[in-house]
Amino acid sequence: MARSEFDVSQEIEYIRRVQKGDGEAFGLLVEKYQQRIFSILFHLVRRRDEVEDLAQEVFFKAFRAIRSYNFQSSFATWLSRIAVNHCYDYLRKVRASRLSYYSEMTEESAHELERKAESPPPQGLDQGEKLALRDFVGRLLERAPEDDRIILSLKELEDYSVEEIADMLKLKTSTVKVRLHRARKRMLEDLGRWRQEGK
Amino acid sequence: MDCRAIRDLIGERWGEELPAEAREHLSQCAGCEAYWRRALFLQAGFHALAEETPPQASFGFASRLVRRLEEWDATGARSEFFETVGRRFVYATLALTLALLLSLALPSTGPVRGVAGADFLGLQSRNQALQPDVVGGETGDTHELNLGGPTE
Repeated sequence: MARSEFDVSQEIEYIRRVQKGDGEAFGLLVEKYQQRIFSILFHLVRRRDEVEDLAQEVFFKAFRAIRSYNFQSSFATWLSRIAVNHCYDYLRKVRASRLSYYSEMTEESAHELERKAESPPPQGLDQGEKLALRDFVGRLLERAPEDDRIILSLKELEDYSVEEIADMLKLKTSTVKVRLHRARKRMLEDLGRWRQEGK
Repeated sequence: MDCRAIRDLIGERWGEELPAEAREHLSQCAGCEAYWRRALFLQAGFHALAEETPPQASFGFASRLVRRLEEWDATGARSEFFETVGRRFVYATLALTLALLLSLALPSTGPVRGVAGADFLGLQSRNQALQPDVVGGETGDTHELNLGGPTE
């Protein structure tokens, strides 16, 4: 059995040890959850080169706050909540210092993306087309407000259920559903606007 | 079904098949058809994004982190405590200074405190006019003044 594979009762014991200041037990928890946190951070911030630094900060925060963990939600959810909140802070900071997407694009690449957006529903895409589509939607997601971006990423990219997202964001499931619906609608409108602006 | 209902439905049934009634609307409405195509495009984009593999933690990530935490535990916690206390001290000083400045800058009179400044000045000049001339006793009208002494 790998060091990072352990059952719930062992996990509870490790958490209690960490709450008493045991760093080694925390290392075991980090090993178990690091990939989950890396995945959330990557899909939410989409900066491959910054994921590890952000993950360190998330685990650091978790270690400092672990005494407040009261076992009401699962440890995975609690940790993911810290990661999501950290992403909110990060995205707000980045947004404040970022140029608008349009100003970063050359005219040629804007036309190229526009042409792709107007193509029929993409099916059987080759690798190059998939990359272009990924780039395009990734950039569209980056333009979205933080709330939309985070909720869409958790649902569409991380594939969490509405209930899991509600637990993570401390919201009602009905609120998550409404927010998801609005986020999708805004993104579709944004895509439509983009296409119109390009014409 | 109207266009608004169709667009709501597209958002609600994200990634699912649309009912026959909605499909019929799409075949007749170019705007909604374009909206639906954009939804399919986005779904495909999300799918492509989700397939992207997140980076792996570098070798020894957890042990490096634990080492850092232990270092922080030894020194960082103490310095953080002083930093917090220091920050609170600075905030408290700033708040006190602000309160002091406000108390100096605000007029000593006002609607809550009593007579407004202008009224006060007016009252003062009126009182001066009513003040009896202690030397000559000829200026001013002392009738309205109650000086506290016996009156004849």
